[in-house]
Amino acid sequence: MTPFWAVVKRELWTVLRDRTIVIAILIQFFIASFSSGLFLGMLQLYDVDTILRYSGGAIRIGVVQADENQLGTFIDKHGMSVVPFETLEQAEAGFHQGEAVAILDAPRQANGITEVRIYLPESNTMSSIVRLVIQEPLKEYENFLRIQKGVDIRYTDLQGEPSISFEFVYSVLLPLLMFFPAFVAGSLTIDALTEEFENNTMETLLSAPLTVHGMIDAKVLSVVILAVAQCGLWLALLKLNGIAIQNAMWVFLLALIVSGIISLSAALGAVLLQDRERSQFIYALMLLTAIAVSNLLNVSPITILSRLAIGDYYTNGWMVSIFGIVLAGMYLLLRRISRRLTA
Amino acid sequence: VRAARCISKYGAEFLLNRVLVIAWREVSRIRKQFGSRTSALVVLAFLIVLGLSAFALWNTLSLGSGLYQIGVSGNVPPLRDSRFVVIHVDAEQGKKLLEQHRIDVLIDGSQVLSRPDSKSQYAIRALKQYMEQEELERVGNTYPESDAFPLRARINYLSAGQTTGQTEADGATQQDTRPEETIIPSLTPPPLPFEQVLVALLYILPITFISIFFTSSFMDEKINRRLTILLSAPVTPFQIIFGKMLPYVVFTLAAIAFIAVQTKANVLLTLAIFLPTTLFIFAIYLMVPLFYRTFKDVTFIAMLVTTLTTAYLVLPAIFTDVTDLSYVSPLTLAVKMYRGEPFGWREYLFPSLPMAAIFGFSIYAGTHLLNEEFLIGYKPLSQKIGDAIYLLMSHTKLYLSVPLWSVLVIPVVYMAQIVILAFAADLPLGMTLGVTLFVSAFVEELVKSIGIVMLMDHGKIETSRQVLWYAFLSVLGFFLGEKLLVLISLTVVLQASISSVLFGTGLLLFVPLIAHFVFTALVTLLRTKTKLSYAEALTIGATVHFLYNWYLLGGLQ
Repeated sequence: MTPFWAVVKRELWTVLRDRTIVIAILIQFFIASFSSGLFLGMLQLYDVDTILRYSGGAIRIGVVQADENQLGTFIDKHGMSVVPFETLEQAEAGFHQGEAVAILDAPRQANGITEVRIYLPESNTMSSIVRLVIQEPLKEYENFLRIQKGVDIRYTDLQGEPSISFEFVYSVLLPLLMFFPAFVAGSLTIDALTEEFENNTMETLLSAPLTVHGMIDAKVLSVVILAVAQCGLWLALLKLNGIAIQNAMWVFLLALIVSGIISLSAALGAVLLQDRERSQFIYALMLLTAIAVSNLLNVSPITILSRLAIGDYYTNGWMVSIFGIVLAGMYLLLRRISRRLTA
Repeated sequence: VRAARCISKYGAEFLLNRVLVIAWREVSRIRKQFGSRTSALVVLAFLIVLGLSAFALWNTLSLGSGLYQIGVSGNVPPLRDSRFVVIHVDAEQGKKLLEQHRIDVLIDGSQVLSRPDSKSQYAIRALKQYMEQEELERVGNTYPESDAFPLRARINYLSAGQTTGQTEADGATQQDTRPEETIIPSLTPPPLPFEQVLVALLYILPITFISIFFTSSFMDEKINRRLTILLSAPVTPFQIIFGKMLPYVVFTLAAIAFIAVQTKANVLLTLAIFLPTTLFIFAIYLMVPLFYRTFKDVTFIAMLVTTLTTAYLVLPAIFTDVTDLSYVSPLTLAVKMYRGEPFGWREYLFPSLPMAAIFGFSIYAGTHLLNEEFLIGYKPLSQKIGDAIYLLMSHTKLYLSVPLWSVLVIPVVYMAQIVILAFAADLPLGMTLGVTLFVSAFVEELVKSIGIVMLMDHGKIETSRQVLWYAFLSVLGFFLGEKLLVLISLTVVLQASISSVLFGTGLLLFVPLIAHFVFTALVTLLRTKTKLSYAEALTIGATVHFLYNWYLLGGLQ
């Protein structure tokens, strides 16, 4: 075995040998999957369409003088049950007998403006649900009043399907899962390198038949292997959960290249500063800046990743290769800088 | 008497002085570390600004950035939303592109064309939300207000009615005390917790970030052996820990105050809400330099701690106003503060007390573990933790330290159980109960027996009689602490039937006490008298404990 692979193996072995660390990674894994599951579930909890689809009929809205105003039809259209009442007093009695969960009073005119009194239950949960589901009917009623007044308002008939889960999965969850291992990889690169500097073991290591860049490359490679293994696991888990990922190979390759770029730049910082505290600090700042700048320049790997995954027609492997070039550039730069160590 | 008072006064000042000296030394160390010209405060300010701008960018740019391709032709309002990528086409070409799945939606003047597949429909929904806002703005600018916004909704609350109506004499309408709220439906989105949760989340950033520096400062001193020198000086470990922690805690509080000012919140209230959280996170990060062996350990532990604490703090806060269980996180208080809703002392103490207790425990542990021998040892982490527990327990009389240990770890157990409950809530309903009960039984048995097992391993406890005696003391301590906790928290949460079993609100005190004693005795005796490993003994004990809890819930009948 060449000295290069010996270092790679040693680096990986120090992580895997310790069961505690492996358990820590697994725990993190479970937390991440549970909380993203929980978050998705919670989105559904507050998602009007989901509420209406599963329990729309059970939401009984009392409407006073439903025959004489349009409010009832808008509520009915969204799948809720309308309970008509003649007067507000009757409606309140109905509310207390559980016939209706909320009451809409008959609209009144005041100074050219229509007023609707809404009576919600005191319970915070129920009232916030009712406020969520009557929002859309109220807005439609408002548009109806606008048209009556001769206001020209466009694009009122758009419906579509609820897009929150879709946007969350492809623009938050997937990039997070693909790039988080890369962030950790960068941190680990700094650990692996600065540990040798601070414990004064670097010279011993270099007396082995191994060049400086050989040694740095080996350390970077080992953390990238760790990161990429996690990415692969995440992709498999997402597939198991029935989340379709287009261009999976490109997505994987992009995750690999990004973790390479991040680890190489972390290594660069570590070689220049040679102590953990400052290197980690600069690394964190660099990451934040990189995210902001790449967003501003419109070449954010986050966007490219999510667009690849949804199978966007205008995004393809060429965009990934741009990052490949950056990776190569970083690699050459690191080689130049690390020559200093032997000098 | 007067002289004695004088001495104690100066003594206290003297001790405090040492803490301050160490704190000042720490500040100068930070300044040296980051160059003489850039003081730590500048770095901090820069960091916060950067964090805020990153947050703003994140918020505006990347939530779904570039997900939808929109073809536009004719007179259409500009689409200034990063989710949409706009392609200008003529109508015929646009229809073709739509057919070829190259674009998701075609807007031709005031007409919107789509395909029936999901992706196109998602784009329509995203577009609907955006266009509504755009049109409102346009209509608001071109028409008089009474025409543009012709509807007012007045929101009132009715208290829950009695079906028979015999208790309340003052009429059918029991108006709630909340004042009437007048809204314009299209301009007032219904209240959602997300926004406030995100703002509250902003506070976690500096707390975690600065505490990581606290950790690395400690590590640094450990590596270059300054800590050893410091330990041989006439200062106590307590003074060292407090002194080193002080500047970082002050920075953190300054950062919190800064965010509070920026987000127009009540600074004092914000500080009061986040002080326990800050101490809690520092308490955890104090443990890192004591237990790490390589730098990689530090990164892994820091990552684990960050995910765990963030999950613990954020997940409950999302459910603010949905369930009272959300009060386990102080972020819930911050969310309430940003919503302008009041909360009382009980709600404040409920999340804060366990955090403060963990801080106390961590400081206590830290002062007893801060010695050369423990710091340098290179062993598997689990063994190091075992050693730490042994060190903590063996320095006083065992009949005191065994029950004391059980009392002190209760906040940790309590937090663990809340986290378990939160995660298990994601599982199917039948499993939620089972998993929560089993894991919490396991955690309880672990903390009650581990001290005794460690003492046995080091030969401090030998005979079966001793094992039984200390098992009893441990269970007693745990039991008393648990009752104390129940007393504190009973009035705030604990509506769910699960919690009543977890924290044992049963009136018959002796049955559970004896039952718990049996479980712990089982674990410890299995460990000594058979060849079973600790993990195996623990699993058996936890299973019996689980079956007992299951029986209490009526699962076996």
